[in-house]
Amino acid sequence: MQLDPVTIQILWNRLITIVDEAATGLMRTAYTPSVKEYHDFCCALFDANARMLSHSTVTTAGFLGIVPEVLRNFIAKHPPETLRPGDAIITNDPWIASGHLIDISIAAPIFHRDRIVGYTLCIVHHLDMGGRMSTLESKDMYEEGLKIPILKLFDEGRLNETVFDFMRANIRVPDKVLGDVRAQLVANNVCSRGLKALLEEYRLDGLETLGAEVIHRTESSLRRKIAALPDGSYRNVAVLPKIPGCDDDVVVKIEVRVDGDGVTVDYSGSSGEVGAAINCSYNMTRSYTAYPVKLALDPHVPNNDGGLRPITVIAPEGTVVNSRPPAATWGRTMISHLFPEIVFATMENIMPESVLASNGGSPANEVYLHGRHRDGRSFLAIAQHSGGFGASARHDGYPCLCFPNNTRNIPIEVTENEARMYYVRKELRTDSGGPGRNRGGVGQEVEFAILDGGTELARDVESSVRLSGRTEDGTFPVFGRLGGRNGRGSGLWHNGDPVDHGVYRRLAPGDRMRFVLSGGGGYGDPFERDPERVLADVEQGYVSIERAEEDYGVVIDAAGMTVDTEATRLLRTGRTGRAGRAEPAQ
Amino acid sequence: MTTSYRLGIDIGGTFSDFAVVDDADGTIRVEKTLTSAHAPEESVMRGIGNLAGAVPDLLARTGEVIHATTLVTNVILERKGAKTGLIATEGFRDILELAREVRYDIYDMFIRLPEPMVPRRRRIGVPERVLADGSVLVPLDETTVRRAAAVFRDEDVAAVAVSFLHSYRNGAHERRAAEILREELPGVTVSLSHEVHPEPKEYERTSTTVIDAYVKAVAEGYLERLAEGLAKRGYRERLFIMLSNGGTATVETAKRVPVQIVESGPAAGVEAAAYFGRLLGLDNLLSFDMGGTTAKLCIIENGRAARTRTYEVDRVHRFKAGSGLPAAVPVYDLLEIGAGGGSIARVDDLGLIQVGPDSAGSAPGPACYDLGGTAPTVTDADLVLGYLNPDYFLGGRMRLDRGAAERAVAGHLAVETGLTTLEAAAGVHEIVNENMASAAQVYVAEKGKAPPELSMVAFGGAGPVHAAGLARKLGCPRLVIPPHSGVMSSLGLLAAPVAFERSRAVRRILKAVDLESVESGFREIESEAGELMPDGVAPIVRRSVDLRYSGQDYPLEIEAAGPCDAPSTKLDWETRFEAAYHGLYGKVDDDNPVELASIRVHVSQPPPALEIARPAAESDAPPKASREIHVSAGSGMERVAVYERTALRIGQEIVGPAVIEERESTTVIGPGDRLKVDPLGCLVVDLVIQRPTAAAGGADETPVSATFGRK
Repeated sequence: MQLDPVTIQILWNRLITIVDEAATGLMRTAYTPSVKEYHDFCCALFDANARMLSHSTVTTAGFLGIVPEVLRNFIAKHPPETLRPGDAIITNDPWIASGHLIDISIAAPIFHRDRIVGYTLCIVHHLDMGGRMSTLESKDMYEEGLKIPILKLFDEGRLNETVFDFMRANIRVPDKVLGDVRAQLVANNVCSRGLKALLEEYRLDGLETLGAEVIHRTESSLRRKIAALPDGSYRNVAVLPKIPGCDDDVVVKIEVRVDGDGVTVDYSGSSGEVGAAINCSYNMTRSYTAYPVKLALDPHVPNNDGGLRPITVIAPEGTVVNSRPPAATWGRTMISHLFPEIVFATMENIMPESVLASNGGSPANEVYLHGRHRDGRSFLAIAQHSGGFGASARHDGYPCLCFPNNTRNIPIEVTENEARMYYVRKELRTDSGGPGRNRGGVGQEVEFAILDGGTELARDVESSVRLSGRTEDGTFPVFGRLGGRNGRGSGLWHNGDPVDHGVYRRLAPGDRMRFVLSGGGGYGDPFERDPERVLADVEQGYVSIERAEEDYGVVIDAAGMTVDTEATRLLRTGRTGRAGRAEPAQ
Repeated sequence: MTTSYRLGIDIGGTFSDFAVVDDADGTIRVEKTLTSAHAPEESVMRGIGNLAGAVPDLLARTGEVIHATTLVTNVILERKGAKTGLIATEGFRDILELAREVRYDIYDMFIRLPEPMVPRRRRIGVPERVLADGSVLVPLDETTVRRAAAVFRDEDVAAVAVSFLHSYRNGAHERRAAEILREELPGVTVSLSHEVHPEPKEYERTSTTVIDAYVKAVAEGYLERLAEGLAKRGYRERLFIMLSNGGTATVETAKRVPVQIVESGPAAGVEAAAYFGRLLGLDNLLSFDMGGTTAKLCIIENGRAARTRTYEVDRVHRFKAGSGLPAAVPVYDLLEIGAGGGSIARVDDLGLIQVGPDSAGSAPGPACYDLGGTAPTVTDADLVLGYLNPDYFLGGRMRLDRGAAERAVAGHLAVETGLTTLEAAAGVHEIVNENMASAAQVYVAEKGKAPPELSMVAFGGAGPVHAAGLARKLGCPRLVIPPHSGVMSSLGLLAAPVAFERSRAVRRILKAVDLESVESGFREIESEAGELMPDGVAPIVRRSVDLRYSGQDYPLEIEAAGPCDAPSTKLDWETRFEAAYHGLYGKVDDDNPVELASIRVHVSQPPPALEIARPAAESDAPPKASREIHVSAGSGMERVAVYERTALRIGQEIVGPAVIEERESTTVIGPGDRLKVDPLGCLVVDLVIQRPTAAAGGADETPVSATFGRK
């Protein structure tokens, strides 16, 4: 069957609409801020050959390259000919699915006229999966919680209650987590209905022709953009920030080979698995490696399997970028969230207009709080705050904008209603953005305190605050690009004392945790920044008068809030060495 | 002098529409004038002046003026509001700028965000802190509030927003800060977050409050000048303003929280659609208003339009959620799509035709306007397809150039796609319909409705041209094209009953709720709402309850007619809630208890008996002409009958394909569609629809979670 360009466009939009509807169903029926506010999920639609055709507009970036692999793994275990209407398959296996136990994937076949025409899949980052919870300290997967192998959660419409019984018995807040699991089933139901209505309306028997068309268009569009890059091999080495409690150095070696209309990213030579909960599964590595290529080269064509095909990712087994069971994986984003900027750093000279300086908040911050309320009920709250966005050839970075994962912050008032704590401050931090012709976005400072529950049971709160670990004097600061300077600030303090991030700490009533999230890296030489833009930054409180002079060579008369043009000229021309160039990630 | 007239005034961005009805005999007069952007009240006076020529003593004989305006929207879009300051809890002044820290487009590294309405130097934190339970941790530091006032004075701030954490639970600090600000800064307007939007989520509440402060002074000034102007011309009665949710408020209420009138004009259009739905006895409607730049759709269920509280203003990308500033006010839940007559079609990198969202507008306009536009637009495609009559656009006041339209479609679309000009034009028409249909599909599903339950009411310049195609795609079986579609919104103002809504949060497990206290809660909010009604009219009261599974955010609204005293009341609510939930999501969550989120009453006057002049023809009008139009996909041009709408007789029937022309618009119906002129002059079309036989849902859904029972 042939499809004309008009029909393809119409049906392609509809494929996206269908998964967006599924995501709406998920958000509206979910129980935890992890889904409702944080938006850490992905809904995706596949054809009968398990090729991803569309994903929800609201999603986190890390899932984009993962979902196709998850479905293929499901089908390998449960071949299509064994599937029946009403079946649903579940797992949270890090190596089969999305890289850590806390994410649950659920997929279902979509039957139309008695045959499978597609699949629907929904991945959600849950609030809890038992175990030691969200800490970098776990040494292996067994410490990290309950593992659900690939199982049929539903068999021809009958619930496999054993799965839920086991989960209920192992999870701290089972009603909420199982509530979110049910919301995933809603998402799959909505997606399935949407596809069937589409097939009926257009009198299609299946998605084969349409699937091939949209995948081909996405793939060939990206290939054309890759082909425009100069062929060559580009190398880089990143020594990642030290992980608290882990002696091993984590080194990511990367070689990007641009060859015609394809890209190979080879991580050979990277460090072996480590005894900290940061090991990546291959799926995760591949996903966050393919994402920046699409982002930089062909952002406006809707993504699907075709957006992954031109990119080959090589990662030797047994390394931190392709770990094996039972490595610990909870904080795998400590590494995987850095792949986009490592790819950008490696390719900045061949596509300088298409890269971002480092984001001050990558890897993503995560805050966990667990304890009991005055009345004895357990609570488990999650929060996230972002650092400053990296500057680019086009723009300054915005203050505090999430990258690369793209999850929302959880409102202060939601968390305070959920957990026995209150925030003391959450505000922008002056001078934290990396200086540059375009300035990195400013970062923020956050502080919270524990409230007294009034009973012995409701006294202490367990809390872990995970940060990027990137400091200005470390091996892996928040890099500026093409002459831009590094972003500044990062740290965690417990009652004023600096402490390790990413580990659990027992907090007593009145205890305070304060943390700083770095600003983004700058782009281009800061001495080339228009002095009037520096003045505007000073007026906004993004940059101090002192730093305006030191970092940008712009002298500002504090009384009149004007640029001292002559003093600025002298300073800018007179200073030798100018602003030190940023080191690329090596 | 008797006051039997009622006057509806809708000030739009380009035109101001007026409709006056004499309730004594049902006659209607309409008027249209250009809007004076700098002083909209002048357009009002001009329009009234024009009308007064035909209606002596107009204002002295008018008992009610109902007004809708785009003023607030324009103030926001053009950033012409008051210089605004923000007072926030110390340590949290940047919440306004931090927003949700998320990118609204995951693939675009270079996204732009709207500028915060208050720059950082005018955001001041003051020591105070209320906790989640409403208790005070830190008392308000009044000295700092006074110092902030001094800063604002130096900066010539004209409006102040106050937004403290958890003020939705305890607003005392905000109220005290307002007292101090009024002492220190007489003449400066103050907006308090717990009054503007008393709900959790600090960013959304702060943003809404800041927008309110920003528009308040301008809205106050305008509404005062408007009231004075009307009084000076002899108007003695009350002036009502249409709110964004179709409610009508007195001028005083509108001035208190002006952010609530941000979508007042489109709300009036929805009211007009609802009015015709009522007259025709149609319970479930989809209003469809397609103009030059956008199409707006809205579901109206049992006479009530869907509402939302996740509205945004000033979007950087008009059609990308998250790219604007949240204004969490009750707004009709309109779906706005970048699809209008002026929407531009092009071929993208992938060789596919894309239509919109950018529009050629009125300048340079579609190619066929011959005003300089060369890009093919939806109007050009409609002309090529024969739907529009080049000699009868706006009743012949404007000639369309068919050759220019064909050249635009051929040159920009046909060559690159390898399609014929006709195929490319049909593609544009089809794609714009599909763009609307696919967006509408999500929207309809979100509201828990299915298109086969809905009748479409179409208006706006381009609405009736596209309505049959869109309705067919969606699966809406019936289409209604009302008369006077060019001034539908001002007509809507006259048709809308005076109405108010009040709600009260309950947030308790339904099983544990004491029905007596629910009943007394209902009575209290009913009397609050009733006090706002005009005297002497027995209001219609409609009760509902917002139910959800405990722990979820989104409730479903369930009708709760009659006193809630029967033992079966709760079971009845719960049963209907679960049925609605199951219909939406294919399952229920009986693991979790049902929560009564809030109670809600809608109090209204009986709908006014608005009568409109009816068609007078005595016998069936024959076609006035015939012309070739593109009837269906894959076919060429076919010759069909063309009718003049004003000549049609009540009860006349036309079987499609056919074209019905009138001054402001053109209705196109397809093969087998049956059109009938109803007694009100509406064109009512029963569409030929090939609907999927299988109902939504099916055996492969993971079913009801009855087996999820707690162990």
